[in-house]
Amino acid sequence: MSAVVTPNPPSTQTEVAKEPARAGARSALSHPVARRLLPLAVAVVVLAPLAAVLWGSGSWPHALTVDIKTPLDDAYNWTVRNRDTNPVFLYGLLHLSNWADSSVSSVTDLLENLGWFPVITITVLLSWRIGGLRDRRGLKLAGVTFAAFAVCGLLGMWQSTMETLALMLVAVVVSAVVGALLGLGAGLSDRFERILRPFLDTMQIMPAFAYLLPLVVVFDIGVPSALIATIIYAAPPMARLTALGLRGADPGVMEAAASLGTSPVQRLLTARLPLARKEILLGLNQTIMMSLSMVTIASVIGAGGLGEEVFQALSTVDVGKALAAGIPIVLLAVWFDRLTSVAGDRLGAGAAPAGLRWLHGWRAWTVSAVSAAALSVAGWMMFIADWPDTWNVDIASPVNNAVDWFTSHMASGVPVLGGTRTWADNFTLWILDPLRTGLTDSPWWLLVLLAAVLAFLAGGWSACLTAALAMAGIGVFGVWNHSLDTLSQAIAGVVVTLVLGFAIGIVAARVSWIERALRPVLDTMQTLPQFIYLIPVVAMFNVGRSAAVAAAVLYALPAVVRITTQGLRQVDGATMEAARSMGASTFQQIRQVQLPLARPALMLALNQGVVLVLAMVIVGGLVGSGALGYDVVYGLEKSQLGTGMTAGIAIVLLGLVLDRTTQRTGKRSAAR
Amino acid sequence: MNDMKTPDMNTPDKADVAKTDVAKADVTKASVTKDTVATGTGTGTGTGTGTGAADAAGEAQPVFGVRNLWKVFGSKADTVPGNAEYAGLSQAELRTRTGCTAAVRDVSFDVHKGEVFVVMGLSGSGKSTLVRCLTRLIEPTSGTLEIDGEDVLAMDKNRLRELRRHRAAMVFQHFGLLPHRSVLDNVAYGLEIQGMPKAERRERAAAMVAKVGLEGLEGRRPGQLSGGQQQRVGLARALAADPEVLLFDEPFSALDPLIRRDMQEEVIRLHSEEGRTMVFITHDLSEALRVGDRIALMRDGEIVQLGTPEEIVGAPADDYVRDFVRDVPREQVLTVRTAMKPGACDASEHPDALAPTAVVSDAIESVARSGRAACVVEDGRCLGQVDQSALLRVVAGLDREEVAA
Amino acid sequence: MKMNRKNVLRVTTAAAVALGITGLSACGAAKTNSGGSGSGSGTVTLSVQSWVGAEADVAVAKYVLEHDLNTKVKTTQLDEGVSFDALNTGKADAIMEDWGGSPKKVSLYVDDKKTVVKGGDLGVTGHIGWFVPKYLADKHPDITNYKNLNKYASLFKTAESGSKGQLLEGSPSYTTNDKALIKNLKLNYKTVFAGSEAAQITQLKEDYKAKKPFLTYWYTPQWLNSQMDLVEVKLPPYTKGCDSDAQKVACGYAQTPLQKYLSADFVKKNKKAATFLKNFKWTNDDQNEVAAMIAAQKMSPDKAAEKWVKAHQDVVKAWLPK
Repeated sequence: MSAVVTPNPPSTQTEVAKEPARAGARSALSHPVARRLLPLAVAVVVLAPLAAVLWGSGSWPHALTVDIKTPLDDAYNWTVRNRDTNPVFLYGLLHLSNWADSSVSSVTDLLENLGWFPVITITVLLSWRIGGLRDRRGLKLAGVTFAAFAVCGLLGMWQSTMETLALMLVAVVVSAVVGALLGLGAGLSDRFERILRPFLDTMQIMPAFAYLLPLVVVFDIGVPSALIATIIYAAPPMARLTALGLRGADPGVMEAAASLGTSPVQRLLTARLPLARKEILLGLNQTIMMSLSMVTIASVIGAGGLGEEVFQALSTVDVGKALAAGIPIVLLAVWFDRLTSVAGDRLGAGAAPAGLRWLHGWRAWTVSAVSAAALSVAGWMMFIADWPDTWNVDIASPVNNAVDWFTSHMASGVPVLGGTRTWADNFTLWILDPLRTGLTDSPWWLLVLLAAVLAFLAGGWSACLTAALAMAGIGVFGVWNHSLDTLSQAIAGVVVTLVLGFAIGIVAARVSWIERALRPVLDTMQTLPQFIYLIPVVAMFNVGRSAAVAAAVLYALPAVVRITTQGLRQVDGATMEAARSMGASTFQQIRQVQLPLARPALMLALNQGVVLVLAMVIVGGLVGSGALGYDVVYGLEKSQLGTGMTAGIAIVLLGLVLDRTTQRTGKRSAAR
Repeated sequence: MNDMKTPDMNTPDKADVAKTDVAKADVTKASVTKDTVATGTGTGTGTGTGTGAADAAGEAQPVFGVRNLWKVFGSKADTVPGNAEYAGLSQAELRTRTGCTAAVRDVSFDVHKGEVFVVMGLSGSGKSTLVRCLTRLIEPTSGTLEIDGEDVLAMDKNRLRELRRHRAAMVFQHFGLLPHRSVLDNVAYGLEIQGMPKAERRERAAAMVAKVGLEGLEGRRPGQLSGGQQQRVGLARALAADPEVLLFDEPFSALDPLIRRDMQEEVIRLHSEEGRTMVFITHDLSEALRVGDRIALMRDGEIVQLGTPEEIVGAPADDYVRDFVRDVPREQVLTVRTAMKPGACDASEHPDALAPTAVVSDAIESVARSGRAACVVEDGRCLGQVDQSALLRVVAGLDREEVAA
Repeated sequence: MKMNRKNVLRVTTAAAVALGITGLSACGAAKTNSGGSGSGSGTVTLSVQSWVGAEADVAVAKYVLEHDLNTKVKTTQLDEGVSFDALNTGKADAIMEDWGGSPKKVSLYVDDKKTVVKGGDLGVTGHIGWFVPKYLADKHPDITNYKNLNKYASLFKTAESGSKGQLLEGSPSYTTNDKALIKNLKLNYKTVFAGSEAAQITQLKEDYKAKKPFLTYWYTPQWLNSQMDLVEVKLPPYTKGCDSDAQKVACGYAQTPLQKYLSADFVKKNKKAATFLKNFKWTNDDQNEVAAMIAAQKMSPDKAAEKWVKAHQDVVKAWLPK
């Protein structure tokens, strides 16, 4: 606190005044931070000894825990007993559940009865129309569509793909509508936005698995739970981006509309909403991507489709087959992504109608629809509805052989380096174990304090409060030690992710062919269902925490690499040019110009890395991470709501702590 | 008022309107300098040089009548207007004292039918806020505001909407076009808002598009047009509703200089063709002088001087205005009415007679050619004459002290 | 501007509320029984657990139902515990292979609510135990008795188990008393959960390939046993009731005759299929044969079932309802 004292500059001698001024400027760097931390420090000096005396300084004091497992288990048992008779279920939730079932099964039936040929025809022509009938992009999009669906069929996954597609379509429609309505509210009303914001923020860091358990309790296992979980998971980005778009509407245009005497409703419909189209479409894109990933995860609670294929393949340790089921997921993602981004481009550009009239507007839709119908009927009469088995291509065995070869050669017996299994053991011994011991041996109040201080430095008082409360919540719910175990793995995972991600990102930002080569790999890694990594990871790193960390790193790496590359690329060209003109070496350019200027992007990468690593905690439970991940899996598989939910809540709380300690809040970064 | 103007519009000069600036300045000025008497009570009132027309102006109802208008931003906005305690404070002092910013301070003026009323000032002078207050796009804090004698501030939502739809249309600095609509649909937007059937509004919009010279571009999107073209769309959109008044908020500031000039001429042309009342906001003095019949010069939310271009240039109200107009080529703004020596002419014939509204630079040309003093004749009556020395005094700025005095 | 926004919001909210109310008033109590036997005319939904043995049961049952009884069959991937919930609500009609891991649910649904009924023995006897690879047992013959395990603890040390020996556990959904066993038998071991059967099998396979020592929780019948030679470690013998107190267990696992369970509703509605499922009974060897076809030879379950059924027509005939 000594830095707070600043000398009074002498008032008469101006030459002398310069020096203290400089000193003042220097101390000003630490000055505001120190001053801001002062109240916190005072609180600590008073409270920490008190807490230590009252409850001891080891692990979280037992006196301060609240048992939530028993009430949760009771609630679960009550629900199970009364689900069939209680009016809340009978008149409310059961309707919802039945609606979910019937809507999904009707779409599935529709797709299946239609048969593969009409489905391909319709999707191809639809994509073509959306891409523009006389546009090269339209043709390209149609090609992508055809290839994607054909490969799904060739891999023998046609039916599963249709099941997934059906569940997804229903989920996307509902989440888009729900999200758009929420976004509309948040975009138009400040108060509504203030209420919604914390929910959206929390949803963003909530691991997908955490939704599943409570839904299973209410809706039981099956399609309704899966659908509702997917909707809950996928609606927030739509709401967020719709609100963003509505709020970001060009004020000039809005004013012009007002000056013409528009009524509020007219202004919304003719100006504000159309102006937000790009954001809304981006929201739709995000919603589609998230629902696709959730539909896969939801196979754990009986969603069926491709996710179930992946899961089933894993039970026989058949990576090849799991991959064959995973590829259609990637292809669906690629297709939807292209579709929405091309649609977005066209909306933005607003091409001038020229050329043949029937290739534009509603005429083009008619052309597409009529030809799709004609072709479908023709195809339907010539082909049978089921995908012909003889066309299937078996990729399972070659993939399995390749994976076997790869893992066995990497796992052990690499000269000098010893192989991945040795590394994994060392990683556990020298990094994970000390980290875990360090955390669990630290006094509980110190950890709460640490979370508070870090969050305060990152995001101010509200972040500080959130982080401290979340950290304390973990202790109160009685999962302190398990959470710290998970935390140690998460920290190790984040560090490894960042080191690798920054390294790859820096290289990719400088060498463009590497970036080009990496892009499809990253895309695939991001959309493949996380489960697919299970087997290779265990084969290479042994069952245990190292394998869990490896899976998390694999999952989080693509996003970190991408954000890093983009951040570095976007560094102002003029600044880089100036640095080069002064003869800075490559290393100097990176260290002194690119990295400092890309700091916001790197912070975002850190935050994303944290969120994604944490999302993999539960998958980690499937490869031997123990701790919270195992608890959630245990809860899910054994219907032990108490254990599972408590662990799920703890993961969310950990997420809050890590998010608040790594996220610079919007306001502060905007002020910079 | 209108009938007073019509004869002017039909003068022979009218034929080559807009061919050159000078000619244009001639015509517009001819049409309005008569009613230049500032009825406003701005801080610095221009010295009226108006003749008989002044009385006529006083009788006719102004399009906009603005009295003691205030717009204060801040949480305690209501306490500022009319509070003697804050009256003399500068903006910065006011902000430290109250936390409020007074964008418009106690402004009063009238806009007469058919004139181009320019509000000029540097950025932050409150001119854009002022023009938005006229249709309550920004709600004034206090004061009175009338359009054709009707109290704007008392209007309910529907009446206000009617005002915006039919009586006053605005053109914006950044165009404010809807990017997802074609040019035609943008122009028709205001009509659509009014509930006009599609065919009818498109027909009308097409006519407006033609009027601003954008034929053939009806199907384009705003993003595919140049800045100047976009502003033409904005202009057409404003014109489509056939409003009584056009409000321009720095319409050409975002455009390149050459295009800006084109657009100014476009406005001048439209004005001379239709005689629509215009309120024109600009920070560009030469633009103000070119298009304005009367100019209100604003500084820190107050009107420093209100008068004809000639008055502003010829008789700046204070040092701030003087500084502002220092570099203006005076001979292109001041008229021979200012430069002439009043009195009878030497001869009864006036072969090289000048109109009193002719600018000095024209007179120089005429005098230089003939080599002798020229008579200033209005309605066949001789008002006085100008000779070389009188004209040179204007160019040299020697007349300034006299006028000021 | 703000006022206008608020208005829009008000209108939107009002519309949404109105819509919601009409929606609610339009419907009364919903009916349960979606999916499962309720949904289609005689479609049977079989619950499949994550291990291959169960998959083999279901594959054969499905094949016979479809080919001999002309019944449409849906399979759904559900874990053991939740399968009972599914039978209760009618989302699934039958569990082919229950290892007795959810006694609470059995008592709740079968005894209390009577929404689930017993379907009889599967004929397969399940057994859980601790296993070591044969190459290890050959090297240290006395390792197959739990009393000697402490002597070899250091052989089984891994990074995860630290100073103790590692006892590899499988999926959390499996029935296990191992933690208590280790404590009560005073063994210097630690359970390490693989978290999923896939992870456990991968680990076993890799270790087996490298001829490394390992000790694992394992069970029979299991298709992997045909690929790996495992030897069971003797635990104190099972006596009835010795595992009743989960904290004090100090005995090995019972021989469990695996059970079938059916949804009561399904039994009422689809007598033919229910009778067949009740009759369905085969041996450990039968199941292993099909399971190995699926898991080791990577046949599709349908193909494997077809092959087995064609070779065992006499067995199948006995299952069909008269």
